[in-house]
Amino acid sequence: MEEVDNIIIHSLRSIGCELDDELTNLKQFSTEVIVATIVKCIKFIKNEVELPSTLPPGMSARFRIGASLANHIQDMGYNGEIGYQTFLYSNETEIRKVFMFLVEKLPKDTTQTSDEPIGASVLLQRAIAAKLHQQMTSPWTPHYLKDRGITWRGKPPSWQREGAACMYNYNSQHLSRPEGLTDLTRKIPKEIRNYYSTSLPFVTNQCRHHRDTFASVIESNTAEVAKQQEWENEWNHSGLASRLSKQEFIDKKKSKIQKMIADRLRQDAKRDSSGTSSLSDLQQVMAAISSRAKTDARTKGSRFAHSEKLLFSKDEDASLAQMSGEIPTKDTEEEQQRKREEEMQSLRDELGELTSKLESLELEIKKFSATQQQLEESINTENRQIDDKESSYNVKKKTMDLLPDAENNIVKLQGVVETSTQRLVTLANKWETHRAPLIQQYRELKSLTSQKESEAQKKLAEIRAFREKMKEVADEVRYKEDLQKQLQSEYERMAKDVNRSAYTRKILEIVANIKKQKQEIDKVLVDTKLIQKEINSLSGKLDRTFTVTDELIFRDAKKDEAVKKAYRFLAALHENCELLISTVEETGVIMREIRDLEDQIENESGKKVLANLEKITQDYQEMKKENSVLMSKLKQKQ
Amino acid sequence: MEFGSSVLEELSIAGDTAHISDQCFNILVTHACQGLLAASNRDDIANDTSFKDTDKGSLKSAYSGLVTLITEATKWDAEPSSIGAVLEECKFTIDRINSFNNIYLAKKPLIQILLGSIGKSPPHIVDVDWRLDYYIKNNHLDKVNQPVYLITLKTEIPGNSELQEIQFSCSMEQLQDLVGKLKDSTKCLEKIGQM
Amino acid sequence: MLLVLEDEHKKHLSFLPSVDIAVVKEFCRISMEFIRKGTNPKVYTSAAQKLGVEADQVQNGVEGLMYLLTESSKLMLNQVDYQDSIIVLGFSEDLREMLLQLYKENRKEVRTILSEISMDLPHYRNLEWRFDVQLASRSLRRQTTPLILFKLHTESYGEQESHILQTDPVNLVHLTKVLDEALQEMKSPYCRRIVRNIK
Repeated sequence: MEEVDNIIIHSLRSIGCELDDELTNLKQFSTEVIVATIVKCIKFIKNEVELPSTLPPGMSARFRIGASLANHIQDMGYNGEIGYQTFLYSNETEIRKVFMFLVEKLPKDTTQTSDEPIGASVLLQRAIAAKLHQQMTSPWTPHYLKDRGITWRGKPPSWQREGAACMYNYNSQHLSRPEGLTDLTRKIPKEIRNYYSTSLPFVTNQCRHHRDTFASVIESNTAEVAKQQEWENEWNHSGLASRLSKQEFIDKKKSKIQKMIADRLRQDAKRDSSGTSSLSDLQQVMAAISSRAKTDARTKGSRFAHSEKLLFSKDEDASLAQMSGEIPTKDTEEEQQRKREEEMQSLRDELGELTSKLESLELEIKKFSATQQQLEESINTENRQIDDKESSYNVKKKTMDLLPDAENNIVKLQGVVETSTQRLVTLANKWETHRAPLIQQYRELKSLTSQKESEAQKKLAEIRAFREKMKEVADEVRYKEDLQKQLQSEYERMAKDVNRSAYTRKILEIVANIKKQKQEIDKVLVDTKLIQKEINSLSGKLDRTFTVTDELIFRDAKKDEAVKKAYRFLAALHENCELLISTVEETGVIMREIRDLEDQIENESGKKVLANLEKITQDYQEMKKENSVLMSKLKQKQ
Repeated sequence: MEFGSSVLEELSIAGDTAHISDQCFNILVTHACQGLLAASNRDDIANDTSFKDTDKGSLKSAYSGLVTLITEATKWDAEPSSIGAVLEECKFTIDRINSFNNIYLAKKPLIQILLGSIGKSPPHIVDVDWRLDYYIKNNHLDKVNQPVYLITLKTEIPGNSELQEIQFSCSMEQLQDLVGKLKDSTKCLEKIGQM
Repeated sequence: MLLVLEDEHKKHLSFLPSVDIAVVKEFCRISMEFIRKGTNPKVYTSAAQKLGVEADQVQNGVEGLMYLLTESSKLMLNQVDYQDSIIVLGFSEDLREMLLQLYKENRKEVRTILSEISMDLPHYRNLEWRFDVQLASRSLRRQTTPLILFKLHTESYGEQESHILQTDPVNLVHLTKVLDEALQEMKSPYCRRIVRNIK
């Protein structure tokens, strides 16, 4: 019972009962302690219970508490006998039973909070607390004793930053690395290979400032990962459904984008009605784009530049010409002015004339081109007519040739017609014979392709499902890994529970003890059986010997007087011996009874009956006193 | 921790005995760590004679792969087991994984320091000086008779090894207020640290 | 300690007994007003017209009062010293009493005004703090770096300025400790002795 008591006391301490260290078993528990601990347990199991944790002095109040405790415990499902007396006039075994029940009922997570995995936020909080504690307790050092504001503390050493002088910005730049060395199918030009092995600096030696290496490395990897993810996404979404190979898909997308750009440009160009020249230019550009995307920028630029240059150069020429024209005339200011104005006027007139002329000329040109088109069309129609007429003339000419020998020719013609019809029929037959299997084949192939198509569709769906599953599994793996890490750290952090191992050790000990006891019991049983057997055999032997002797002596007794006496003695001996045996057996029975009674006595004395009785009588007296006090009070009031 | 396919390729070159021999591997990993850590070591690998039989192109590939792995692993604070998983995918042998982890883990805190130093920061207080004056009079006023504290906060500014100073004066009451607030914050931190 | 009046000052003030005591009272009010807000010459001319005297005389009288007030406030003269100092002016008892009243009532205000125009260093106004933990950065995704952010408000000649500062727990503890020591220093016997002796 000691182990049980230890376990109970330990669990009671773990829920915060204040128990003296000397208490090692339940026998030592006083009534106050019992009530206090039981109240604590009940409060632990049911959160919202109003119970006083200390025993009140008044007897009736004590009784009420005892009764309510018993009620609570019965409500929880205790099916042993229980009442106020269990607590107030305790006996060890009953109290033990109650405590065992209560300890079993204690919520597991409060007794061992560390059983459940702790959330990430709690872990973070702890990490912060630990870090903070470490920093708050570490000694201060002046800045000139620190290497770039870093100090190393603790064991194993960990660093902490106590300054900002070493901080620098996140600057990344492009890193070049050898590409495609593992891909044996791709040929790398010799020059590039040569560049890789001789001239390309190592990645840590590429940045202008060495400290930018980290940022650049991170950036280049992130860029690549992001690109891959984007591609993966697109491929999963639209790439797989298009049922093209990756290369084809990329090409298609490229051409689509090019087309889109071209469309946009075309639309913009149409909207831009300022100049027809630029429009035609753009259209040419578009043509260039759709044929070769790479050169578009260059062509566009050069064309625009070209036309611009032309415009400007014209202007310059004109102004130059004007200036040179003005230099030789050196008259008075007014004259010059007048002259200039005149000149200007004449020039303006000239310009007006010229523009009007130009306009009329343009109009004429338009007219002419229109008439030209008309004429061309009419020429075309005439040509067509000529062709038609020529063919009809030919037919007519042949018939005219055939007319003189009409009869013969008709027959001949009929023959020709017949043969041709016959040929037609045979050909049709032949065609039929050819056609049937072809159609058959066509149908088969068609069904086959449709079958294949559906299969492909199915496979596609499967692939998609697999991909999704893959992703899910990967996520799960990641999650599980995180969890595992968390649990691992949790496990490492957890104070190795001492009493758990103590429990297991004790349990193992108990089991070993029980085994030993069982062996001993078995041994005793075997012994008893042996003895029983011996007894049986002995009594059998005795019986047999007695009957044989009895017969022998009885036969002789008729003849001899002495033998007769002997026979009588024998009978007496036998009777006495039987008596002796029965007495021995009786003693055994009595001894057993005595032992039983002793056990009972011990049991009863364990129940502290006498002490409890004394207590009860005392309490009874007290009750009486209280009652009488109350009565007297009542009387006074009356 | 994720890697682009080119990085994985580079790593598989580093793990391939055909490209990088076993005795070279450890030296390569050490160089990758050192080259990242110190500007003075950034080009050490080019001058190392141990690699004279190694194809320089593959060596550069392997080196850049390892540099990326070291950087990313430190950035994510990866466990040796997850680094091992990545390396296993790149067909590393157990021996190589172990020797990589050994060399890398010894240098990891130093790399962490460098990675942690990337960023911005307001001026960081590293020290404080004070001077106590008794203010007696000035040209406008006699018998001022007050204690005045002159306080200099010494701060570090990113990218500047010189300390910067912030100077201000306090009367007794003002210093009381300041110290009260500082004590408040210290207590708050202590409480959090004790949790 | 006595305030030694210069001869010219005495001459300027000698105008006061020649006018009615109520007028002097008004002069006192005006001089306080001027100490607060600066002079206004118009007041002199209008007062001179009313009294039928030269504007200069009025101005000298008022400014003499202002000077008397600021000088005695600057030196923190006690009542007795103040009375002894103005006795040389040879004013009537009523007038002296009134000047004493003027000094008694306004000394505190004049001293505040004087302290405002004194040399000023950037001085402490307020401190705000908050506690942050840096959990990740672009280049280091897992870290727990505790940081304390400060916003320090200072003031100089009425102009406010604020500094954003940062520190770590180690330096915070140090900072608190050092400044607390500074604060305690003022209470040390040595400092007390000096303070006592200077008074």
